[in-house]
Amino acid sequence: MWIPIQLNENSAEPLYHQIESQLRSLIISGQIKEGTLLPSIREFAGRLNCSVITVRRVYQDLENEGLLRTKQGTGTFVAKVGEAERETFRREAVEEALSSAVDVGISVKCEEEELKRLFLAILHKKYHPDEKEGDT
Amino acid sequence: MEQTAVELKGVEKKMRQKRIGPLNLKLPKGYVIGLIGENGSGKSTLIHMIMKIVFPDRGDISWFGESYPRELPQHVRRQIGFVSEKSSVEEDNLTAEEAAEFRAEWYPEWDQTYFEELLGKFKVPRNIKLRKMSKGERRKYEISAALAHRPQLLLLDEPSSGLDPFAWKLMIDELRDYMESGESTILLSTHIVEEVKRLADYIVLLHHGKLHGMAEKDNLMDNWKEIWVSGGADLARDLPGIIQVQQEIQGVVRMISTECLQTERILQDSGIPVLKTRALELDEILSLWLNGHLPAGVQSGKGD
Repeated sequence: MWIPIQLNENSAEPLYHQIESQLRSLIISGQIKEGTLLPSIREFAGRLNCSVITVRRVYQDLENEGLLRTKQGTGTFVAKVGEAERETFRREAVEEALSSAVDVGISVKCEEEELKRLFLAILHKKYHPDEKEGDT
Repeated sequence: MEQTAVELKGVEKKMRQKRIGPLNLKLPKGYVIGLIGENGSGKSTLIHMIMKIVFPDRGDISWFGESYPRELPQHVRRQIGFVSEKSSVEEDNLTAEEAAEFRAEWYPEWDQTYFEELLGKFKVPRNIKLRKMSKGERRKYEISAALAHRPQLLLLDEPSSGLDPFAWKLMIDELRDYMESGESTILLSTHIVEEVKRLADYIVLLHHGKLHGMAEKDNLMDNWKEIWVSGGADLARDLPGIIQVQQEIQGVVRMISTECLQTERILQDSGIPVLKTRALELDEILSLWLNGHLPAGVQSGKGD
């Protein structure tokens, strides 16, 4: 099972955190399906060039969250993700992206009203790409 | 609770040229521990003491929780695989097959199929005496033979010297496979930083016969970073783990931190923007560590 995880060593985010949040997204978004057998701890660590200590920590955290389950002797599998969790994850992903967009606005000293206007304009453009500008 | 494969307590040895120790070190079971140090720092002597080829003058060593004041009993020795820096002359006049027959008698766990498989993968020449082999070929035989009895503890003293890049890659893969069960332990003495980067879970640093401690590799990678921050050099006074400060252009200061996770958190909380972060390469970390900058929480002279 190949798992698309991309590590950025130059980020201030610790390795285990990067692996954990990417793996969590892959599971909750359904890109890795329920019942999938994940690589063993040593194998996964080898592919990421990180230590088994880090991977074990990630597997344990996600197991505690109910996203993974370990069967003695067979390995670690992706558990069933509830509809409620998927919904929460969806909302949180969007909230996070919006929040960082607002941070950019604040850093260049945008007023609240100006941001609102910009947001609504972009929203309209994305959802109605065929309309000409100025139609609103 | 984590189990210990080998533990050294207050181990000292006076050699002709140098004095080693006191060494206090615990090798946790199930991990790859990279042993790093300059030439002559005592890496081989440490490994020889764990093999009981060299007896310490002082201190205790225990294997899988037991210590043995005299010879290492057979059943313990058979649990250990050893690739020595210099190949032993005893096998010089044997071919790989003949040497394997001897080893198979000595090691009850000897797995001939696995051995043959490794010889094949590594393309070790057959039917020629070991002493006639090139350095790299001999090395590949030694690695195969050390793995073939599936030891609990594998002591590797510069195993990759003489290997071509393809054999080197294969060695890394085979060692990872060997670690798969989680029951085995490797102590890997090497000068190849890339080997440590790819294989090690922990790193032990030995300098002039003294331990500079043991650290988790990913912890080092997460914490040893170079950061550029708006501000003056005086900023460093209030930050943890800063080992280098340099004023760059006006208003930008460059620092090297050994506790970057904490350093960045404090900067963020104080509203000081970090302009750029660069992870140090493992070889940069190792030379700073060698020069006496210890990783956070690591005590000099101790490795547990």
